[in-house]
Amino acid sequence: MKAKINFYFVCLTVMSFVIFSSCSKYDDGDTTKPVINLIEPAEGEILKIGDDSGVHFDLELSDNVMLKSYKVDIHPNFDGHAHSTMLKSSLETVDFIFNKSWDIYGNKNADIHHHEIKIVANSTPGNYHLILYCTDAAGNESHLARNIVLSTEIAENHEH
Amino acid sequence: MHIGYIPVMLMFVFILPPSQAQESDSLKAITLKEVVVQSSYKKISNLNSSQPVDVADKTFLSEHFTGKLTQALEHIPGFNSMEIGSGFSKPMIRGMGFNRISVTENGIKQEGQQWGADHGLEIDAFGVERVSIRKGPASLLYGSDAIGGAVEITQAPPPLENQFFGEVALLGKSVNETLGGSLMLGLKKNTWYTKLRFSEQYFGDYHIPADTVVYLTQHLPIEGERLKNTAGFERDLSWYSDYRNRRYYTNFAVSNAYQKVGFFAGAHGIPDASQLTDDGDSHNIELPYSTVNHLKITSRQQYAWDKIIGYCDMGFQNNHREEWSRFHTHYGTQLPPENDADKELEFSLKTFSFSAKIKTYGNGHWEHTVGYDLQYQQNSIAGYSFLLPEYGRFTSGFLWLSVYHLHPKVSVSGGIRYDYGRLNISAYRDAYLENYLREQGYDNGLIASYKWRSYPVNRNFGDISGSFGIVWKLDNLHLIKFNAGRSFRLPCANELASNGVHHGTFRHEQGDTSLSSEHGWQFDAFYTYEREKLYFAFTPFGSWFGNYVYLKPTGEWSALPHAGQIYRYTEAEAVFAGAEVECGFDFLHSFSFHFAGEYVYNHNLSEHISFPFSPPASMRNTLTWKHKRIHIWEELQSIAPQKRISKNEEATPGATLWNMGVAMNILLCKTELEITLSMQNMLNTKYYNHLSFYRKMEIPEAGHNAQILIKIPFKNKLK
Repeated sequence: MKAKINFYFVCLTVMSFVIFSSCSKYDDGDTTKPVINLIEPAEGEILKIGDDSGVHFDLELSDNVMLKSYKVDIHPNFDGHAHSTMLKSSLETVDFIFNKSWDIYGNKNADIHHHEIKIVANSTPGNYHLILYCTDAAGNESHLARNIVLSTEIAENHEH
Repeated sequence: MHIGYIPVMLMFVFILPPSQAQESDSLKAITLKEVVVQSSYKKISNLNSSQPVDVADKTFLSEHFTGKLTQALEHIPGFNSMEIGSGFSKPMIRGMGFNRISVTENGIKQEGQQWGADHGLEIDAFGVERVSIRKGPASLLYGSDAIGGAVEITQAPPPLENQFFGEVALLGKSVNETLGGSLMLGLKKNTWYTKLRFSEQYFGDYHIPADTVVYLTQHLPIEGERLKNTAGFERDLSWYSDYRNRRYYTNFAVSNAYQKVGFFAGAHGIPDASQLTDDGDSHNIELPYSTVNHLKITSRQQYAWDKIIGYCDMGFQNNHREEWSRFHTHYGTQLPPENDADKELEFSLKTFSFSAKIKTYGNGHWEHTVGYDLQYQQNSIAGYSFLLPEYGRFTSGFLWLSVYHLHPKVSVSGGIRYDYGRLNISAYRDAYLENYLREQGYDNGLIASYKWRSYPVNRNFGDISGSFGIVWKLDNLHLIKFNAGRSFRLPCANELASNGVHHGTFRHEQGDTSLSSEHGWQFDAFYTYEREKLYFAFTPFGSWFGNYVYLKPTGEWSALPHAGQIYRYTEAEAVFAGAEVECGFDFLHSFSFHFAGEYVYNHNLSEHISFPFSPPASMRNTLTWKHKRIHIWEELQSIAPQKRISKNEEATPGATLWNMGVAMNILLCKTELEITLSMQNMLNTKYYNHLSFYRKMEIPEAGHNAQILIKIPFKNKLK
């Protein structure tokens, strides 16, 4: 009988160890993603090809601890979703591809405003995707996808 | 004190009593099964192993049948099913899944593309008669991959009398308009036993209680509340035979499982609402979809001498998986292939397995088992995209297990195993990517590191697993077991050498060729109290890993198009702990109550966060009324919120679900019809499964489901 009680005791000890170790608040690692607020370009916005002043880019980023970097990826979306070369555009124009990242390490908030994205004059007009990625210092990542249109015809009037 | 040391210290405490290894119960099952009734198979299994073993028998499997094996097993505490829509689901035990779980059928380990989050288990659920779940490390028995546990699918014992027998099973489900059926024909004649089974299942797009899902901040419409293109079908054929003559026993099994399942279009690549308009057909399978064909041939030879029994298992498997998606590329120079232009990925994994064991019995206090396992795999690839390289993998292991019966009520056991593994991964150079990066103006250094989508790897691994345990049957009511051991796992090819954007996870996943074999120390305890109308079980566990491999976000931007940061397989110090509790009692003549609860805690000590895919705590309260041939149950399933998440994972709210069912046996023309009617998620609650592949797309789990399963067994005694 005594042995039995001893074993119950052992069981209880194990159980309490497991439960106590389980309940300890040890998850102090950062799992909160940065927050993206992309103001311009807006969803469905038409951007002018060959505009030397560049795309008006207006972005607000914030994180609970520290931001690290953001990246802009623009690529064609001519046939809906699939990026097929079968529907490759005419030879005179080139599909516009933009891929660049910016370092914003050390800040909790960032208000970004620039005209660094320049759509070269020989770019193929059509539907494009713009994907914005943002990471914080811990490696938490947010992203956002926008549909944009590249066009030679419609001029943009932005107030800067 | 650092939290990581607690479980380790606990382990040392329990190594002190001499101890006991997990031990295969296959021999005892063979020698005992003719005298043991089905319900106590679990008890026997638990007496034979110092680790907790749960058994799902035929009744359990019919009651919880859904057409997918892992979904039925989810009713066992400590077992979870990782869902990929309604088409696939994969097993998880105590928070470990993927390549950390071994699934065996007829003694041979099932080898598919377990590493992939959107790859399921290719086994015919209709044909499964009995499953034992070994919670906790089983690498001593099965080698490398069983570090988290094992699911053993075995055959129910053949009927005693000579007979022709069979079964027709029909399944209907409302949630995805499933129609399934299975036909089995068998024959038992003296020393021969054979059975043939054919099953098919067709299912449509499944219902979710939501009309929009949010993915990448875009609202996607879910027309008619049905998830477009999640339809699929499954066709399985299997043949099993055995022959037993005095001391000789042999079996032979061939099975082929084929599945074709669509992927929700919004979940592949950038979401686009135009992909999701209702095409008026909820049963068609459009691109993107996947097909899998799993062929398996296994055989056992066994001979019993006076005090020694020897057996060997052999198996060959071919897992052929294809993923189809309309040809797309980001590289201007890549043209669609002439044949099968839309075949994105193809994996063909061939596995040859061999295992031999010699076991002593009836020799007084001692029982010994010596065994040797060997496995060779060859993976070949095709398709216009690249994810996993071609590789060859050879593993072999030698094991020794001993049991010492100290006393009729106490047995201690221990075992040791050495495994050797060799992995040979082929290099893969992507000329299109190289060209693309050059066009984008990247420097030569970066191009040189990216153009190799996989580096050649030729590595050898060797590692020891060991285990010690004790089984103490206090009296007829109490059973206590302890087990402690070391287990290990070889890194898989994807962890070492994958490099590319996984279209399913939508991430640039990168292997690390320098990873070492994962090893951990584990401890578990088991206590049951069982009397006529009362049952209680408690099974706590804890483990510590020095180098648990997981996919870590690196913060480095990938140069690949459509990729954010690089996720790299990285080692971390890890702790896992938790427990399962189960209890049940009978009251008022025909009522019974059953409670099952589970909890898993894991912690990444290197990063102070949790690991991805941590199962939330959950419990099931089931009330059953049983009278003669009828059996009604109502279940309250409670899932706790999961707030302990990894980076880039979403916290998942909890949920409460009502399920119920009726099972009845109806006598019709001397045949006993088994009809099971069940309803899941009766209130059509919108909830998320933290372990679902579709979780991060905010796609809720299936809505209300009504299901019917009819089984018509028949037999004709032979003279």
